[in-house]
Amino acid sequence: MKKLLAILLCATLLFSALAGCAGSAAPSPTQAPAAVVDATKAPEATKAPEATAPPAKAADPLEMTFIFADGDEAFKTSMNRVVDGFNAANPDIVIKIQPGDGGAYSEFLKTKDSVGEFPDMMEMRDTAVYVRAGKLAPLADNIKSLFKTTTAFDGKVYTAPFAGENTNGILYNKKYFTEKGLSIPGTWDEFLALCKTIKDLGDMSPLVIGGQDIWHMGFWFHKLYADDVLSSDPDFIKHCYEGTAKFSDERFVKTITDMQELFQYAQDGWTSTPDAQITTFLVGEMSAMMFSGTHMFTQVADADSSFELGWFPVPDRQGVQRLVGGAGIGGLSLSAESAKDPAKQAAFDKFLLYFFEKANYKLFLETMSYLPVTVDAPSVEGTDVYVAVTEAVKTADFLSPMWNGFHGDNELPPDFRNFTYKTTVEVIQGSRTIESATDELQKAWDVAASNFNPVTGTGIAK
Amino acid sequence: MRSNSRTTAAFIAPAFIFFTLFIIVPTASSVYYSFTSWDGINPYIRFVGLANFKEIFTSARFGNALKNTVLITIFISALENALALGLALLVDNVSRARNFFRAIFYVPVILSGIVSGFIWKIMFNYNFGPINQALQSLGLSALKRDWLGSPAFALASVGVVLIWKGAGYYMVIYLASLQGVPQEVVEASTIDGASSLQRFLRITLPLISGAFTINFTLSLINGLKVFDQVAVMTDGGPGFATETIVYLLYKVGFSEGRQGFGTAVGLVLLFIIMILNWIQQKFLKSREVQL
Repeated sequence: MKKLLAILLCATLLFSALAGCAGSAAPSPTQAPAAVVDATKAPEATKAPEATAPPAKAADPLEMTFIFADGDEAFKTSMNRVVDGFNAANPDIVIKIQPGDGGAYSEFLKTKDSVGEFPDMMEMRDTAVYVRAGKLAPLADNIKSLFKTTTAFDGKVYTAPFAGENTNGILYNKKYFTEKGLSIPGTWDEFLALCKTIKDLGDMSPLVIGGQDIWHMGFWFHKLYADDVLSSDPDFIKHCYEGTAKFSDERFVKTITDMQELFQYAQDGWTSTPDAQITTFLVGEMSAMMFSGTHMFTQVADADSSFELGWFPVPDRQGVQRLVGGAGIGGLSLSAESAKDPAKQAAFDKFLLYFFEKANYKLFLETMSYLPVTVDAPSVEGTDVYVAVTEAVKTADFLSPMWNGFHGDNELPPDFRNFTYKTTVEVIQGSRTIESATDELQKAWDVAASNFNPVTGTGIAK
Repeated sequence: MRSNSRTTAAFIAPAFIFFTLFIIVPTASSVYYSFTSWDGINPYIRFVGLANFKEIFTSARFGNALKNTVLITIFISALENALALGLALLVDNVSRARNFFRAIFYVPVILSGIVSGFIWKIMFNYNFGPINQALQSLGLSALKRDWLGSPAFALASVGVVLIWKGAGYYMVIYLASLQGVPQEVVEASTIDGASSLQRFLRITLPLISGAFTINFTLSLINGLKVFDQVAVMTDGGPGFATETIVYLLYKVGFSEGRQGFGTAVGLVLLFIIMILNWIQQKFLKSREVQL
């Protein structure tokens, strides 16, 4: 009897635990709520939502999970507002925002995928990686046609770009510039001279840099890489894959030495300053300038609405303007699993049409100070700095995504950018020589290229 | 006898099944993945033989992570145990508010590594952190440092947090052991004229050597798998100055899309822990005094 009891007890424990595991597993994306869709009346993904109306008998609303990088408060607020508006206007669909990890969004999304919790729709950044893995569904034609430019993979577009690439430039303390008679530089050397002048004045540091967030280093790195390398070899990365270019290339070395020269004007403690703190330095008059994207306009205004903010693009040595701009590789995507459910595909299309509807999109752009990418773009009422960015983008000599935003033969191996930034930080801090940095970068590159090489096709499933 | 074995087996079975499912099977599968270049996302998995292990033993990055891990392990094993023993002696000898002190010293232990990391990240902040602010207020601005941003101080700063967080736990083990020291032996040595220092060195220390073995083993393992505080406080930086093996494993596996290489690093770490633990057990066990 005792033995039987023991066995029963063990069996109960085991099954209850296993049941718990089963309960925590993600529901199959294809398990749509029974009442939602009549498959025979399922809308075609390529049709407009009006033509793909939800089924007549919908007892329960269709639930869609949605994840985006919610580190930026303005972006988070904007997305919440759009989703709330959409849910209210579409009682048959519920888009559920799940918390995203703003600081390490790429890792977060990979983890969600690993544990079987890949969302129905998401903000996609590593588009090429997920497209190759077959995780994303292509956009319907009527959605693609909304945008002026999109990024295609083998003729298919997988992301709906939120806006134009986040154009970087100098956000500066206009009042201080006026008081001290400082002028906007026309060349890189004039910019360095401006930094020196501010440093010599001793009131505040010329620049604030949020070096604790390693991605923040990318703003300056890309700017100098574009001026030093891309200006003469737009296919430098492709040539590295081919083995015809090396990181000991003098142009690449110049990028690092330029970083070294520039960072002497950063605030003390720049390596332990997070991006979230740099606004405090600017509005608190601890630093005169920061180099970042237009999303910072809102943050500066929120921190101090009376702060007189100015903006200018940073030229190269000849005065040429190479700006980050145009549609990038990232944006809103639908998972391939969810796309198998016609109701989810239709709901996603409907959400995109709602998001890019003129009034909604205008609000989003104004909050984020982003530039529109839609064909039928809304008229955005921007601040002076927003207008300055718009003009600069119109007159820029070159517009391109960040160096880690390219795809095809110039796509960087996963996270090579962070390895580059960290190695560059070591050079700037003096814990590594430039020669050892380029050696280490080359070694890391050789290993990365042996696993992934878009030029030879290594590491890419046929 | 036979029915006893069956009952025993039945009781062991659930734990065995869970252990097999969640420890043995993943470990075995990670051996397989360590020979591939899998990115953790793509179903296409390419076999690369020993390439990952070759890279581990030739890469400067792994060497740097190993160096950091060893340094932090030695640093925290030594100081954490010294501090824990000091706290245990203090609490053991204090006659009033003993429980209060025990609780105070133990509080950091119950905080998660992430929470303690965030707290100390604020404390160590160069421009706004209380530590540098206090130094400035005391007119000691020359002592202000970029505690987490300087390659010279970042690893030690992380170590300080680990010690602060872990010492209370080891204190409890030392305290239990101290309270198990037979008082008659201590009294006999006092009658024989032994000084306090002699009593501590000749009587107390040998009799609590079992606690040393446990605590050093635990702090060694904790040192080798430092992750939370590094992730929160420094992200392995500045540069790679605080990147430890476990953090490297995480970064390459999840951030850099190299799950195959990450699992290879994990296996190497497993062997390192096994070897170090074996050496430590051999050394410390031989010094234990059995009552």
